[in-house]
Amino acid sequence: MVVAQTTTTPLCGRLPFRSLHKDDFNPNPSFLPARSTPPSSLAAAASITTVPASSLPAVQTPAQARVDILSESLPFIQRFRGKTIVVKYGGAAMKSAALQSSVINDLVLLSCVGLRPVLVHGGGPEINSWLLRLGHEPQFHNGLRVTDALTMEVVEMVLVGKVNKSLVSLINSAGGTAVGLCGKDARLLTARPTPDAAALGFVGEVARVDPGILRPILADGHIPVIASVAADENGQSYNVNADTAAGEIAAAMGAEKLILLTDVAGILEDRNDPDSLVKEIDISGIRKMVMEKKVAGGMIPKVNCCVRSLAQGVRTASIIDGRVPHSLLLEILTDEGAGTMITG
Amino acid sequence: MNIPFCYLTLESVKVEYTPDAEFYKIEAIVRPWRVHHVSSGLLQMGIRGVTVSDVRGFGAQGGSTERHGGSEFSEDKFIAKVKMEIVVCKDQVEAVVEKIIEEARTGEIGDGKIFLIPVSDVIRVRTGERGEKAERMSGGRADMMSLTASID
Repeated sequence: MVVAQTTTTPLCGRLPFRSLHKDDFNPNPSFLPARSTPPSSLAAAASITTVPASSLPAVQTPAQARVDILSESLPFIQRFRGKTIVVKYGGAAMKSAALQSSVINDLVLLSCVGLRPVLVHGGGPEINSWLLRLGHEPQFHNGLRVTDALTMEVVEMVLVGKVNKSLVSLINSAGGTAVGLCGKDARLLTARPTPDAAALGFVGEVARVDPGILRPILADGHIPVIASVAADENGQSYNVNADTAAGEIAAAMGAEKLILLTDVAGILEDRNDPDSLVKEIDISGIRKMVMEKKVAGGMIPKVNCCVRSLAQGVRTASIIDGRVPHSLLLEILTDEGAGTMITG
Repeated sequence: MNIPFCYLTLESVKVEYTPDAEFYKIEAIVRPWRVHHVSSGLLQMGIRGVTVSDVRGFGAQGGSTERHGGSEFSEDKFIAKVKMEIVVCKDQVEAVVEKIIEEARTGEIGDGKIFLIPVSDVIRVRTGERGEKAERMSGGRADMMSLTASID
């Protein structure tokens, strides 16, 4: 798949794609058009269109289909250009290398066409494996990690030091420029202990968000990657749930979209019928579904996080299937979407 | 489905407003980004005269905090809201209040409040009409209701 090699500047006159037939950086020669010297705009167009059509890598889509797809995505690009999109990254999309690279490439593409993506991540499995290496058993209470002092140290090291930096590095390799932050940087997130602190330890609720540092980063065309570790007024570290952190950051930035990548197809009207995916619903509708017990237990915190975000002015909040390649592009640049969109 | 208790009682008891007046001003304090939902909902039901102003306020009920822009705000911090003022005839008041609640509600703390104020008279500046003639807007709710020939 072709990606941008030059720095990503917010929608300049010339799309920053190199010509397609520099074989040294094109990893998938099957996507090259048959002609030897395509004009640079068509090369740019073809390189964008290969992204949504790349579900079957071996098939070469004809050039006409590619430009048709590209011109269909124009209204979406225009609608969202300059708008902030907060993506919470976790689950299967984070574990599989192929899905990971598709999410990263999607982020770089969105940044190139002028949207302003912000990535917020968790990292449960990594934290668990490092705790086990240290001989410490990971414990959960009502779905939240019990975080004592040692666990908090490990959480901070793994999330901010390892997971965050590896995502930054992947985005850089894909051609974007990423800046890795955690809640402590520039007081982005200020935490306070949850009411349940006696049972959970250093698990934090978001008390305040100061998005000031994100504006210059986004204005310069970089992608912020945020780890959900924060400190309280006194500097004590807290482990904040990544969904919550993403929702509050989206509210603080006045984001257009909040997108949560999950391991399920979305919210199903009937739990036993995978075809009953709810594509679009409003706040009162989703509250009704929760009351009618149609929403599965693990989904409820995500739904609550979405509703909280929408109540604070975020335009739409989506829960999408992270197991589908290019789910981000499907959700943002198509009408069908890749999961459930909750509107205000 | 989730009919608030006060509306259930309205079915059985005719609400008497005191002091009684022909017109009422409905003052709704709502979240700024819900104004568009509310005004399009009102237009759909034929309410065509609305005034909005940007205000700030606090009104949290003891202990609980309101979330605004990602941060929690406790009692004495002012948060930006929008005040919508609508003057209608007495018999349209309940429908307008229901519509505002339906469109503005999110279920989170900070959704706002609605106040009903009796108005003694309405005068149209352009023509000098007073009373019901001044309050009535052509193509508005009263016309819609008489077209469907049902009493709401």
